[in-house]
Amino acid sequence: MSKYYLFQDTRKCIGCHACEIQCKSNKNLPKGPKPCQIIQVGPKFIGGLPKMSFIFMPCFHCENPWCVSACPTGAMQKRSADGIVFIDKDLCVGCKTCVSACPWGAPQWNPETGKVEKCDYCKDRVDKGLKPACVTTCTTGCLKFGNVEDMTQIRRVRHAESVASFENSSF
Amino acid sequence: MATQTCPVRNTIIYLSDLTESGALTDPRERRICEQILNLVEEISEGAAGNGHLSAIDALMEEYLDGKGSKKTRVNGDRLKEMLSENREVFESHIATRNCPSHDCGKLAPSPCQMACPAGIDIPTYLTLIARGEDAKAIEVIRRDNPFPWVCGLICTRPCEMMCVRARIDTPVSIKFLKAFAAERAMSEGAYHNPEKKPFNGKKVCVIGAGPGGLTAAYYLALMGYKVRVIEALPVSGGMMMIGIPRYRLPREVIDREVAMIEDLGVEISYNTRFGTDITYEDLKAEGFEAFFIAIGAHKAMDLGIKGEKEFPKALEAIRFLKDVALGNHHAPGKQVVVIGGGNVAIDAARTSLRLGAGKVTIAYRRSEDQMPADIEEVEQAMEEGIEFSFLTIPKEILGSEGRITGLDCIKAELIQKEGSDRLVPVPVLGGDFILEADAVISAIGQYVDDKGMEAFDRMNWSRRGTIEVSHASMETAMPGVFAAGDAVSGPATVIEAIGGGKRAAEAIDRYFNHIPQPRMPKIPVRHHREPPVEMTAARKMTLKRPSMPMLNVDRRRTTFQQVELGYDEESVRKEAARCLRCDICRRCGKCIEICRDKMGIDALQLGYLEFDHSTETDFRTTEKKCITCGACAANCENKAIVLEEKEGRRNLKLCGTLLNSQAILYCENCRAVLPSAEYLEFIAQKTGDMVKRTQHRLLCDNCRRSLNAKINVETRPSDPK
Repeated sequence: MSKYYLFQDTRKCIGCHACEIQCKSNKNLPKGPKPCQIIQVGPKFIGGLPKMSFIFMPCFHCENPWCVSACPTGAMQKRSADGIVFIDKDLCVGCKTCVSACPWGAPQWNPETGKVEKCDYCKDRVDKGLKPACVTTCTTGCLKFGNVEDMTQIRRVRHAESVASFENSSF
Repeated sequence: MATQTCPVRNTIIYLSDLTESGALTDPRERRICEQILNLVEEISEGAAGNGHLSAIDALMEEYLDGKGSKKTRVNGDRLKEMLSENREVFESHIATRNCPSHDCGKLAPSPCQMACPAGIDIPTYLTLIARGEDAKAIEVIRRDNPFPWVCGLICTRPCEMMCVRARIDTPVSIKFLKAFAAERAMSEGAYHNPEKKPFNGKKVCVIGAGPGGLTAAYYLALMGYKVRVIEALPVSGGMMMIGIPRYRLPREVIDREVAMIEDLGVEISYNTRFGTDITYEDLKAEGFEAFFIAIGAHKAMDLGIKGEKEFPKALEAIRFLKDVALGNHHAPGKQVVVIGGGNVAIDAARTSLRLGAGKVTIAYRRSEDQMPADIEEVEQAMEEGIEFSFLTIPKEILGSEGRITGLDCIKAELIQKEGSDRLVPVPVLGGDFILEADAVISAIGQYVDDKGMEAFDRMNWSRRGTIEVSHASMETAMPGVFAAGDAVSGPATVIEAIGGGKRAAEAIDRYFNHIPQPRMPKIPVRHHREPPVEMTAARKMTLKRPSMPMLNVDRRRTTFQQVELGYDEESVRKEAARCLRCDICRRCGKCIEICRDKMGIDALQLGYLEFDHSTETDFRTTEKKCITCGACAANCENKAIVLEEKEGRRNLKLCGTLLNSQAILYCENCRAVLPSAEYLEFIAQKTGDMVKRTQHRLLCDNCRRSLNAKINVETRPSDPK
């Protein structure tokens, strides 16, 4: 995994798709490719109430990326410094091998350029100390980006809060 | 920037750099530059119309209206310079949809079309003939050449010399296919003239009714000019009629195509020699404002040997062929020696044989492989029993009392001399011998007869005795006087004369409309982009150029019947389909590079793409290795190689040739199209173990994403309230 973590707080996400739009606009993409995507799951009846989840699906920047192994041209690469998996478009010949290889559907086809697009955590922005495009415009602030160690803190704090809350307490 | 590149391409590079570098900070300038870039890109892709250049001019003016900064001006001036300096190239890109430098990849012309002196759009008409649309093919050919039938029988076919198919097996039989199409269209009454423009009140005089003159007359008549052709002979066609024997080119073929030109209102005055029967002043007085000189090269060169002028049976080939063409069918002698090694020598020899000469010998001073005559002509002459005496220099025509008894010759040897590309024949000491003969025909070349041309006093003549012209416009130094054909080039080919006639017609039209003449020769025009003929790889590979059926030798030795009998219809359609469509595939080799070097698959065995070192080509081997990944197609600028999905199969086609076809797999969940099994196998090999964990279900990338999102939700611990 990369040294970064992009955390989505699914409790806060309202499925506004602003992240998708910001991502595409930042990468100047045509209709079709979505390096990150909000997938709606449900609605399902849970406890008699209709419930729906919105799951943010970017690239997971795997430790052993399928796409990198599959790519015949060496266009798909993993950055050794921080583990970001990205595509060098000059090397991409549009064979779509990575698209077929990825179990998560992360590499996306750009029909205009005939090459693959992929979430690279906006590495150019990250290198300048900025956040990825999707994170910057998240309306509810449910997307958070940072080093893995910082991200675990959010869950810990939340768990602690829930443990401490009276409603859930065994007291 | 390289100097060799196309100015249109250079402008695109300049503008892209300008717009992408962020140097243009003013939104107005940026917008204008992007708009100009769009327009130039369309010019480079052949998608531009007549309004494109004026639109660019208007944008350029807006850019330079003085509102911008100093830096703006520098960029703008540079751009304006690029556009105005190369205006002709831009215009030519729009008008011809061809870019001879191959830099504008989509407009790279096919080698055959570039080789044709008349610039016929060969791939287009071959495709039309393959599909059986003969009349349409003739219509396409006649935009560049009003004599498709004549050229189909006698053209020297520079196109076939350049044919890319020759790098696989043999060149496409481009020449004859158009003769078939013309004959068929003529016979079906479908050989039509295009619509001509109404009379524009201008009159043009054409001197000489040969291929050059009649071609100019044809295009001028179409443009609305009144054309009168002055012809010294009683027949039309020039050298086509009186130089080329009718066993190669039947008279009817010339007559029918000339009649088509006359149908446009072109008037031909026969038996009228310019300068004697009618003068420049007469014609000026009649209102002829432009003159086109296409008088050919009808005077024979002298041998410069003893006896040449003494004997009535020492003939000039050109005179002899003319007399035969005009009806004198007497054999020149029993034993004829023809001196020379070109097509005229062969024609004179074969004609002598047909008139009843018992023995005909061609005496040539170099060796067989150095003969300028067409190889087929030489072969056919040999089949008919013409004898050849190579390395033979004529010394003297022997005889007495006006009767020839023989030709005294010296044996020659070929020596490499400094400053000469060709080996030079030099006499061998003591190598004298006598060729018995009662008639000697010299065919060692012709030159232009300038008699009667005195009226064109401001025209320049070259040292070779030809008329000097600008080759882009065929314009002489004398305003309003144009010239083309053999009169300009010296003895050359029919197709060159046709090309010159066509250029001259356009230049004459410009002359009348006060449009400046082009500085560069016109580039051939691509008229259509016909969809290629579809067939399997095996068929494309196994089609072979048919051999030409010939009249039997006995008849060839005794009559003037046409020697080449022509292909049957089935052979014609098949042969036309052998064309590789080099107007679509420009043989850049990117597909091979991607498949072999980048993908490591090496499924494309297209050795013919390499010009200098062609290796083996086999379209049939692609299906053994290809995984239909489509990387070749995605990178083909011209869409010559395409990946199509049709009826459950993914088909890879190169200019219509089916290279591979594999079954498409579908997403188990949404039925979206997935790669082929061969392709998935390729990925499985690359990803090794990893793939096993996920490939148990056949899902598209979207469904995989959704499935994973769902798993995320399902496996999430229940939310604390």
